[in-house]
Amino acid sequence: MLAQQFVSGIVIGGVYALIAMGLTLVYGVLRILHVAHAAVYATGAYVGLITFQRTDNLWLGLAAAAVFCGLFGVMIHRFVYGPLLDQPRIVPLIASIGLFIFSQDFLRLLFGPYAMSFPASVPFGLLELGDAVIPGRQVFILAVTAVLLALTWYVVGRTRLGLAWTAVSQDAETAVAMGVNVPRVVAFNFLFGSSIAAIAGILVGMHYNSVYPAMGEMPAYKMLAVVVLGGLGSVPGTVVAAFLLGLVETLLVGFAGFVLPRDAIAFVALIAILLLRPEGLFGRSDA
Amino acid sequence: MSRGLLLVLAILISVTAAAGPALAAETIKIGFFAPLTGPAAADGKSVMQAAQLAVDEINARGGAAGKPVELVAYDDRFDPREAVAIANKLIEQDRVVAVVSGSYSGPTRAVAPIFQRAGIPMISAYGVHPDITLAGDYIFQQSFIGPVQGKAGAEVAVKLLNARNIVSLVMDNDFGRSLGKAFREHAESLGATVHEELFPFGEKEFTPILARIRGMNPDLIYTTGYFMEAALTVKQARELGITAQILGTEGADSFQFPEIAGDAAEGVVITTNLNRDDERPIARRFMELYRARFGHEPDMVAASTYDAFIILAMAIDKAGTDPRAIRDAIAETRNFEGVTGLIAGYTEVGEVLKSVQVQQFRDGRYRFLAVIDDIDLITPPQ
Repeated sequence: MLAQQFVSGIVIGGVYALIAMGLTLVYGVLRILHVAHAAVYATGAYVGLITFQRTDNLWLGLAAAAVFCGLFGVMIHRFVYGPLLDQPRIVPLIASIGLFIFSQDFLRLLFGPYAMSFPASVPFGLLELGDAVIPGRQVFILAVTAVLLALTWYVVGRTRLGLAWTAVSQDAETAVAMGVNVPRVVAFNFLFGSSIAAIAGILVGMHYNSVYPAMGEMPAYKMLAVVVLGGLGSVPGTVVAAFLLGLVETLLVGFAGFVLPRDAIAFVALIAILLLRPEGLFGRSDA
Repeated sequence: MSRGLLLVLAILISVTAAAGPALAAETIKIGFFAPLTGPAAADGKSVMQAAQLAVDEINARGGAAGKPVELVAYDDRFDPREAVAIANKLIEQDRVVAVVSGSYSGPTRAVAPIFQRAGIPMISAYGVHPDITLAGDYIFQQSFIGPVQGKAGAEVAVKLLNARNIVSLVMDNDFGRSLGKAFREHAESLGATVHEELFPFGEKEFTPILARIRGMNPDLIYTTGYFMEAALTVKQARELGITAQILGTEGADSFQFPEIAGDAAEGVVITTNLNRDDERPIARRFMELYRARFGHEPDMVAASTYDAFIILAMAIDKAGTDPRAIRDAIAETRNFEGVTGLIAGYTEVGEVLKSVQVQQFRDGRYRFLAVIDDIDLITPPQ
């Protein structure tokens, strides 16, 4: 049973990590809480599903969603956050919340309020590890998550673009003085983070076999907890916090039963961490 | 020539002058609110469609009390505060003669005392909370309350499905708790053991609970979740290799349930109020009209809403437009053949008396399995 709980905790944690990544990347360079990221995630699920329905090809769905939402993210930056960057930080935050609500209702008007199923079959069968049973879909989700997290690690840690991102997140002014092309870094940032969120949307849609307009509601606030837990703007911190949260939620519900709503666990953890370590798990205390 | 023209003109003017204001002023306004946006928007859409269907039907038959019926509908966004604002608007601005609630127990409970004070009758189409009708004698409930359905569920589990070792998954809200409590009490009184687990409304991940349940080897799992929770419970249980019979409630009575549960929906039994294999003309006609107009299967919230409007129209036919008289006429309803079965009438407090349908999902849709019409079981506890 422990193995079973552990696996489902990892699956959930991995998905959290993928969604929260875009938030962390954006916060790192712009210091904006990008709530509308959850709308990008839900849009990704829809684009993926519609493409899959038309072509019966899951890979095409993943690609279409990644491209569409990558561009969507870039547009959000260009037309929503861009003009507001010299305003107090509350202004882009409110714009972000507004955009989130708008997008959610737009999806509802376009596709209706009913949940749509995502009947994709995956190239994996049922996996049995000891007494744990892992459905093929979960194996697929784990595999895609692992690939994307490795890709993120490579891009942020091993490429010039990642180096530029780190430089901008540490000190934007010095980075500019050193010749870093900040607009390009920021644009790439939105492109990359939004593509990953779109794929996360598809994975969640497949996992629960349902895509519906309000599916971004939970991530919209829970991912903020993940990002803050991880130390605002820290990529490894976000990943660790996401997996921790996924595991704690699952194990707590699995062994202790219903103590408090699963979604509340994230915020209890958040309060505890902020009291003990205000900079988050991986944050710098001067950030 | 000119005299003839004048005469025609004179007749035209007098006709339109008489008919114009009469048409404008003489509609009967029925208020309606439902969660058209927000997390419950799917049910909101179903009931809105059913309300339109019912009102169009009523008007096609010549309206109520000889006047056309006008539907005054609002979106409560599944928010009790919004529902309160709507209630005041319906009473003061729109001056409706009666109201149907197409919303969940929470918003409906919040507005029941307001309509009671204003003396406007309200029929709650599918709320299940027993407190709704406690607001007073102007408030009626069209769906059996939680305790009735929970008890019926236990009857099905133990007597029909022969379950002895039951796990009950109780959703932590008004709906889930009131059904779960009645289910447990009745199942235990029938000699079964019931192990209870709570889960929050909106839960998607049931594998942690199910993995633990698997070790208990239950012969039946009862879930009080709505279609999303119930579908994911069923799906995840089957994926973990749990073969126990699964019994749900009207919460799982939606065309979206098999959509999400997929093959795992096969064999699931639910208690509800819409019998898909009902051969009575009123039920057949409703299901056919609904399918043809909206392109999907009707669900129980739609059927219950439709019945609420038809009962209201009959009451207005009988009593006219005085809210007090309409209230009395609703209370006097006896043996009405509704889409959701034979409605024997309403109890003293305004709870409906009707049989509980037991449906099983087989070969792609819900089908008749049994019906519970034992009057002791379906009479709400006072």
